[in-house]
Amino acid sequence: MNWNFDVLPDFIFNGLSLGAIYGAVALALVLIFKATTLINFATGELAMLGAFLVYVLHMEQGIWLWLSMLIAMALSAGLGVLIERSLTRPFDPADHLPVVLITLGLFLIINAVAGDIWNYQVRILTNPFGKFPDWVPSVGGDRYVEVLGSRLKYQSIGIWVTLALALFLLGLILNRTKAGLAFRAVSSNTESARLVGVHTGRTLGFGWAIASAFGTLGAVLVAPQLGGVNPNMMATILIYALAGAALGGLDSLGGAVLGGILVGIIQAVFVTWGGVVVFGQLYMSILQLAAAFLVILIVLLFRPAGLFGTRRVERV
Amino acid sequence: MFERQRRLSWISVTGIVLLSVALAIIPFVASTTGLRQASQIIISVLAVLGVNVATGYGGMISLGHGVFVGVGAFATGFYLDDLSLPWLVAIALGAVTAGLSGALVGLPALRIKGIHLALVTLGMAIVFQPLSKRFPKITGGVSGQGVEARFDAPNWWPGDSRMASAVYRYLFCVLIVVLALWATWNVVNSRFGRSMRALRDNHTAAAIYGVDLVSARVTTFAISAGLAGLCGALQVLLVPFVSQDKFPAQESLVIYASAVVGGLGTIWGPVLGVIARTAVGKAGDLVAGFDGLGPIGDFFSLLDESAFVFGVGLIVLTFFFPRGLAGIGRKRQPSG
Repeated sequence: MNWNFDVLPDFIFNGLSLGAIYGAVALALVLIFKATTLINFATGELAMLGAFLVYVLHMEQGIWLWLSMLIAMALSAGLGVLIERSLTRPFDPADHLPVVLITLGLFLIINAVAGDIWNYQVRILTNPFGKFPDWVPSVGGDRYVEVLGSRLKYQSIGIWVTLALALFLLGLILNRTKAGLAFRAVSSNTESARLVGVHTGRTLGFGWAIASAFGTLGAVLVAPQLGGVNPNMMATILIYALAGAALGGLDSLGGAVLGGILVGIIQAVFVTWGGVVVFGQLYMSILQLAAAFLVILIVLLFRPAGLFGTRRVERV
Repeated sequence: MFERQRRLSWISVTGIVLLSVALAIIPFVASTTGLRQASQIIISVLAVLGVNVATGYGGMISLGHGVFVGVGAFATGFYLDDLSLPWLVAIALGAVTAGLSGALVGLPALRIKGIHLALVTLGMAIVFQPLSKRFPKITGGVSGQGVEARFDAPNWWPGDSRMASAVYRYLFCVLIVVLALWATWNVVNSRFGRSMRALRDNHTAAAIYGVDLVSARVTTFAISAGLAGLCGALQVLLVPFVSQDKFPAQESLVIYASAVVGGLGTIWGPVLGVIARTAVGKAGDLVAGFDGLGPIGDFFSLLDESAFVFGVGLIVLTFFFPRGLAGIGRKRQPSG
């Protein structure tokens, strides 16, 4: 075995930036679960659609990338509201089967529609952090800073800053606005919230809107790591995000972000770096996916509430 | 509900007669390719039946039955080529292998329920394809591999043309599917089947009445996965080639969707689900074949993709016919 500690920080940085993206998608799952106790299996596909919107706006229409991202996030939010209002609100959230079917149906529809429009080839989408202005310092022309003897890419820093900003905004919305207050009331107790006059339906739509926007953000940020956008891009990301959400606790917003980051680190350190140490070569995707699946399984088996979630007491 | 239905309704009788006539006509009109495709459609009933056992009768959501189809197919290929076992043994062992892997999944299902089980099985469905690429000795890696053994008609079978062999395979598949439906029907109406459904409806009450939760759940999942594995084994019989690209996560979801569309917890549901899937797929092919429809034609080319149709079908049925095609026109039973 070759305990190659020199490259460990590389793996950690990589894990942290991937993990932050998993956190964003996990947040999309948790925002909806928290309010309605349903898992939106179409989260990944909605996010993929958002990434394709950015592709169309930016690559085909030539709109500035960050503006395209904002427009795409707004459009995804609108789509989220539409789906909530038309497809999930008619059903009793306590009965899982119908809503699982609805979101699975959406999964299949969105995937097939995207495949039909854009086919299944990978299409390059500009990396939001691919180019930096000249005033950003560089090491020998390359855009990174040296930390602990390893290269910390500006792309990673960019992802962290973007997501931190988005989280800060989310925090402001949830804690400082009326809609945010209503959302917290509904997710803590839907019936009581309804009784004191909160419009629960509209509030759930609001949850879907933010969730879809976050999903889109995650998909756009992860696209450069996957080589571009394609209709199946989110399948594996969804597994990591689900693992992150389960680990953090399905009804904990902070837990989702932390869980996603933890999954990223587990993936990078224990699986990728550990794989190099033990086997002497990279067994990338497969061990990572299996590890994410194991995380889901183990958490749900032994601690269904996750690290930060509320334990549910079942009354008989 | 626990009383076995002794008499078949006239709808069922008409359906069975029509289906039998159709099945009997197919070998006379179809080409060898058409016959193989028909056989493939017919065996896909088995995978849907598997989901129906786990979800419809057992109350455990499984979004990952494509995995068991895959395990059945890969295992059968392995038994045939690497262990040189005869066909019938290989098929049976393939199904058993899938059943055992199903029992493994059934174990966590003891604790993980409802939407969480959906999550775990979906995870399984997504992980399976990349995982199977990594075991090239059994799965043929990324590109898949051929299976040497051929399922040919025995000597007593009249004729030895390719057509005769295709008819033999077709009849073999039909026989297996009919036997599987008959066996499942008997299992769900046996003492075990009643404890299975009791568990689905109220597991606390079932436990109080003496149902062994552990063995009932694990056995249900094993039977269900075994049926899906049988489907995989017969796939190898029809096309001696195994490949991971037949088992993406969407395949598992479409299998689940077929079960729901047909009608969960009914014996004819899987058959109806597969008929619906095929009919809509063919209709899409037909419409997409016309030129000059412009954007409307583009839309109809979507119908070609069974995933799209089933997504829409799932949503429409969930809204209007929550008990699936088999439940249309039937009186609603009080649930819970």
